[in-house]
Amino acid sequence: MTDSRVERSATEAARIPLSPRYGRGWLAALIASVLMVLVLAYVIAELVVAGIGIWGTNIPFVWGFDLSNYVWWIGLANGCSLFAAILVLRRHSLRTAINRFAEGLALFAVICAAIFPLFHLGRPWLFYWTFPYPATFQVWPQFRSPLTWDFWAIITHLIVTTMLWYVGLLPDLATLRDRARTPVARRVFGSFALGWRSSVRHWAFHQRAYRLVAIAVIPLALVIQSTVAFEFAITLVPSWHETRLPLHYVVSGLESGLGLILLAAAALRGSLRGIDRFIDDEDMNLIGKLLLANALVACLVYAGEVASALLAGPLMVEAILNRLVGHYAGLYWGAIALSVLLPQALWSSRMRRSNPAGILIGLGVIAGIWLDRLSIIVGGMQRDYLPSTWRIYAPTQPEWALFLGSIGLFAAMFLLLMRFLPVVSMSETRHDEYREASS
Amino acid sequence: MTGEEDDGRPSDVTGSGPCETRLWRSLEELAGSEEVRRFGGAEFPEAATPETIDRRALLNLMTASLALGGLTGCAVNRQPWGAPLLAQPRLAPQHTPGVPLIFATSLELDGLGRGVLVRSHDGRPVKIDGNPLHPASLGGTDVFMQAEVLSLYDPDRSTVPMAGGMRRSWDDASLYVTQLSHQFQANAGRGLHILLEPCASPTRDRLIALARQTLPEARWYFHAPLTDGNTHVATARVFGRPLDPVLDLMQADVILTLGGDPLGAGAGHIRYAADYAQRRHARDRPLPRLYSAETSPSLTGARADHRLALPPREIEALARQVLDLVRNAAPPPAAPQSLAAIIAGDLRRAGAGGLVVPGREQAADVQAIAHAINVELGAVNRTVRYVEPIIQASTDQSSSLLALAEAIGRGVVDTLLILGGNPAYDAPGDLEFADLIGRVPSSLHLSYYFDETSRVCRWHLPARHALESWGDLRAFDGTAGLRQPVTVPLVEAMTAEDVLAQLVGEAGDGHAHVQATWREVWGEEFDARWPTALEDGVIAGSAAPAASLAAPVGWSPPPAGPPVAAGYSMVVFAPDPSVWDGRFANNGWLQELPKPFTKQVWGNAALMASDTASALGLATGDIATFTHGGRTIEAPIWIMPGHAPDAVTMTLGYGRRAAGRQGSQRGFDAYPLRSSRELWALAGVTIAANGRRDALISTQHHHGMEGRDIVRVVPATGPVNWPVEPRRSMYPDYVYDGNAWGMSIDLDLCLGCNACVVACQAENNVPIVGPDEVAQGREMHWLRIDRYFAGVPDAPETYFQPVPCMHCEKAPCEVVCPVNATVHSSEGLNEMTYNRCVGTRTCSNNCPYKVRRFNWFNYNQKPPAAPDAVQNPEVTVRWRGVVEKCTYCVHRISTARIAAKMEGRPIRDGEVMTACQQACPTRAIVFGNINDPDSAVYRCRENPRSYELLKDLNTRPRTTYLARIAGLGRGSVGGTR
Repeated sequence: MTDSRVERSATEAARIPLSPRYGRGWLAALIASVLMVLVLAYVIAELVVAGIGIWGTNIPFVWGFDLSNYVWWIGLANGCSLFAAILVLRRHSLRTAINRFAEGLALFAVICAAIFPLFHLGRPWLFYWTFPYPATFQVWPQFRSPLTWDFWAIITHLIVTTMLWYVGLLPDLATLRDRARTPVARRVFGSFALGWRSSVRHWAFHQRAYRLVAIAVIPLALVIQSTVAFEFAITLVPSWHETRLPLHYVVSGLESGLGLILLAAAALRGSLRGIDRFIDDEDMNLIGKLLLANALVACLVYAGEVASALLAGPLMVEAILNRLVGHYAGLYWGAIALSVLLPQALWSSRMRRSNPAGILIGLGVIAGIWLDRLSIIVGGMQRDYLPSTWRIYAPTQPEWALFLGSIGLFAAMFLLLMRFLPVVSMSETRHDEYREASS
Repeated sequence: MTGEEDDGRPSDVTGSGPCETRLWRSLEELAGSEEVRRFGGAEFPEAATPETIDRRALLNLMTASLALGGLTGCAVNRQPWGAPLLAQPRLAPQHTPGVPLIFATSLELDGLGRGVLVRSHDGRPVKIDGNPLHPASLGGTDVFMQAEVLSLYDPDRSTVPMAGGMRRSWDDASLYVTQLSHQFQANAGRGLHILLEPCASPTRDRLIALARQTLPEARWYFHAPLTDGNTHVATARVFGRPLDPVLDLMQADVILTLGGDPLGAGAGHIRYAADYAQRRHARDRPLPRLYSAETSPSLTGARADHRLALPPREIEALARQVLDLVRNAAPPPAAPQSLAAIIAGDLRRAGAGGLVVPGREQAADVQAIAHAINVELGAVNRTVRYVEPIIQASTDQSSSLLALAEAIGRGVVDTLLILGGNPAYDAPGDLEFADLIGRVPSSLHLSYYFDETSRVCRWHLPARHALESWGDLRAFDGTAGLRQPVTVPLVEAMTAEDVLAQLVGEAGDGHAHVQATWREVWGEEFDARWPTALEDGVIAGSAAPAASLAAPVGWSPPPAGPPVAAGYSMVVFAPDPSVWDGRFANNGWLQELPKPFTKQVWGNAALMASDTASALGLATGDIATFTHGGRTIEAPIWIMPGHAPDAVTMTLGYGRRAAGRQGSQRGFDAYPLRSSRELWALAGVTIAANGRRDALISTQHHHGMEGRDIVRVVPATGPVNWPVEPRRSMYPDYVYDGNAWGMSIDLDLCLGCNACVVACQAENNVPIVGPDEVAQGREMHWLRIDRYFAGVPDAPETYFQPVPCMHCEKAPCEVVCPVNATVHSSEGLNEMTYNRCVGTRTCSNNCPYKVRRFNWFNYNQKPPAAPDAVQNPEVTVRWRGVVEKCTYCVHRISTARIAAKMEGRPIRDGEVMTACQQACPTRAIVFGNINDPDSAVYRCRENPRSYELLKDLNTRPRTTYLARIAGLGRGSVGGTR
């Protein structure tokens, strides 16, 4: 094939996701998720006006759904961006297929995650006190606190994920600007494209910048996820006070990220015609194998969790046994089933290539990691030092609404991403196809 | 503090206690000052010529002018928008606005008085503490004394007279009472029947005596649901005339309690607890040995060295056996002895140091047996003295509620005056008293609330609260104390004495009546003794002397009745530890107070042993139907470890229908099942499960210590050897050059009575959250009392452990707060800055003791919040979204520090008392400066029994515990338990 034909066919194909008419399925999904966003807005307003009491939290369960959902979303975000960054650095062919939407998913997950630590505060309008500004009352944040670190972690995460996504998006924004049919579209895309001229110089800087950001993402993602884990590991709650907790969160977070990527890839393949040229069976194969491998590592990590608790003092033993067979045992075993056992289906190559299986397994893994978060945070808190304080926590409707509302927000953002921006990287795809064709 | 300096204070001010205590003699003294008179004269010109106006009107005007003139701290102003910012409050002399005043008065429970000191800020009482000079309190309180201040501001209190369900004016009401008075003075009181609560008040007794003279044909009845004549019947059998026992637990070496709960409830229990604690503390005397036989677990039983869970008939059997064995000194056989023999042996060995205390709910025979044993042991006038009945209201059958019911039935009652009490609610169910009242043509009820009785009476008059009234009361030992108002009357109301005075035509107000009583008693010395009595709150030397008893003739009980067939058919009635007999049902603090054993709140349950429940197929929370004599009630049951088999305990005071917003429709009403013939223990009750469940709310769901080191118990003899571990920390220690505050809680003295919990709530504006929130686990008590069971489930050891903030040196909460809202003070306190808290609640996560509470909602504005008036102005009222916890009463520390600084001296040991410390009857809580080797708390920490809770976390708490001393086991024969 000649260069121009390669270019034309690739760009033509890349336009498919941006067709002006998107069909009823997309619209229905968007309406549903916007409704959930409205529910989210309502429940947040109710929270700010009435107070945290509308949740089911109590003493000792001062954190319930709020922090569990936060850790879960951050895990998703971390997993996605970590994976995308590794692919960029390795220049792996898989990156053309999934990087764009993976980075997008990571960004949306961080935004959804940020809702929870902000609104779980008793007085959320004062959240900025965790920032060290010179206040007239001369009180600084407490720097020994993991929550102060987490404040910076979220900010960093937001910035870095945005940068990874945006830097990769720049050439495609320029393409969209050039191909825009309305002046409004041209202006919007143009302003975000920052004057990209597709010159060799720009490309050289771009590749360097992209890799720099990707290099930055890897340690930052590990540190950020560990910082989230520190909020628990620093405390003296027997179930939480483990050095291995950051590792646990990183590994299971990565798994949830991969599960989300699998879910999104399978969903895109199932819903957008023609996208399987770019997200092909080989890519799905790879994603499936990676998820399977991660599930096996996660299994090791879970086993390590039980083993290290059993080898620790009697309080830890009691805490882990309570998580395994006590009131919240369902959470633990659900997590095992969904995040370790379910991905074993990916041993079969037919499962790996099948879209419905991908969707189900992806959803299952994400749900499993959510159950794991609840099992650690809620189940783990149930057995601490003084038996007189032991009781039960049960989430209330506003907590469910907040959780489902955040999913709705995530879905809405993703649906809009699909609509207005390319879900596969046009420039990378062209680059790779060109290289294949000319080799 | 010298009298020379003219700082505006008089030189006769007494100083003691947490704030500058100036015991005010009375509001009247304040009112009598020149400035207020002048102001009053300006406001009310007619008062300027006192000879043209009578005393009552003058006092009314003066109280009004006091309210206007300065005690409220605001200037009176003609402008419609209130007091302007710049006007100075018109000062009453010797009173600085903002500095609290403390009044001594007496509060009543079951007719007996307890002396209290009431702290009031600018005319608004906010806190009640015990009166150290009063023998019934010695500075300690119980939960009811602490909670009375909230009742004062109850928005559901009755404010206007009612007649036939419609509001009427006080003119109409006065007219009615005057008309009654004229009518019955004309016919010597025929047809007039008056029901009162028995009350040991000299003034009331005087007025009743006067009324009996003036209205000889009127009939008088006395009823309270918890006091009845068994005590007097029993002493009459043994001594020939009714007498009251007064215990001296300092002298008792061996004590046997048969039911009752002398340390936890009943007459004089605060004093008895204090004495018992002092005896346990006394180094030169051996530890007392306490045996407790009871049906339902009580605080005394939890404290006992050996506790027997026995249904009522077996308590009687035990008493009989002990009496036999004490009388017939048989040499102990070599074979293992029965428990009765061991107890009898101990009592005999103790001789005059032995003591048997029967509960008032025991049958007359059992009580008589107890007194007979006391006589036999020679304990009379040593560990117990018998005095002439303190409540002089007649207790014979002709004055009982039964007699009144009969009279109504016969139709001879024209007018029924019920002055206090709530008989339509708390009369025994078989009398159907509410209907009976309805049959009386003319009835009047004087009460604080428009309650069940008011609704069936024709007329209702609002009663004054104890803190607004004049009066006097005798305590459990006969000591008289005066009652004076500590606030202007918040609502126009009357006291029972006012009504009685109107009936007999005695002029004057409450003040005048009380003065008249004591003028009679003191005669010439009145002017000298009256001011002292008011200031002290107690009349020295007025304790009842021991009655002279005839040479004791050994009394023998009648032969025991036929044994009752075993069966789960005995229902025992007991006062509720939170609402007593129901009068406190609308008090939010008490409703939310976890009961000592069940930790249940906002409701009650029928307690039974687990065997009883499993035989009936019931679990905790199941509702059962109890039927007796054609009356049926439904009640949820609660399986109570340590409860006697074959018996069910029902607590009274719940299930009210017209108690106000907090008290109505809570729990179940046990009164309908009660029988007037068998008031306390009912045999032959049918119990059946009815398939429904009730959501019972409690604050503690796990009752065992799970093998952890939480409450330590040490043997009574022998050294205490606990390993001393090296203490390492990566962070440098704080250095305290000045004061370093610390607290020590003696678990051996703590009874679990909850007085400290309510005191902390009252002092620190801790909000009431309501049943739904408590069910979710959000109760706000800064100080909680954990109750652990240990040992055999059917006869467990019960341990109480108060848990305030530990104020850790290495506080885990301080490290994790992102905004520095919780910091360490220079005197060792872990301080909570409400304004800085953003509510992440991570400090609560990191507190292993879980003492931090979070304001999930705006509890202080959300019903059932306490009214604003009861809030202590020295403590912040917290908004939602912030964490709060025990502060070691830092406001009291600040006040003491300021006072000490102004006088240029260090803070004395004992000058700062935290609210919990001050309330504790046994002085289990000690607070002070641990840098001072002479302080009490330093000595406590040096005690070998001292330990830290969760010590291996190395939090280094400043609140330490003294381990409980294990029970002494049974007798000196056969040693261990």
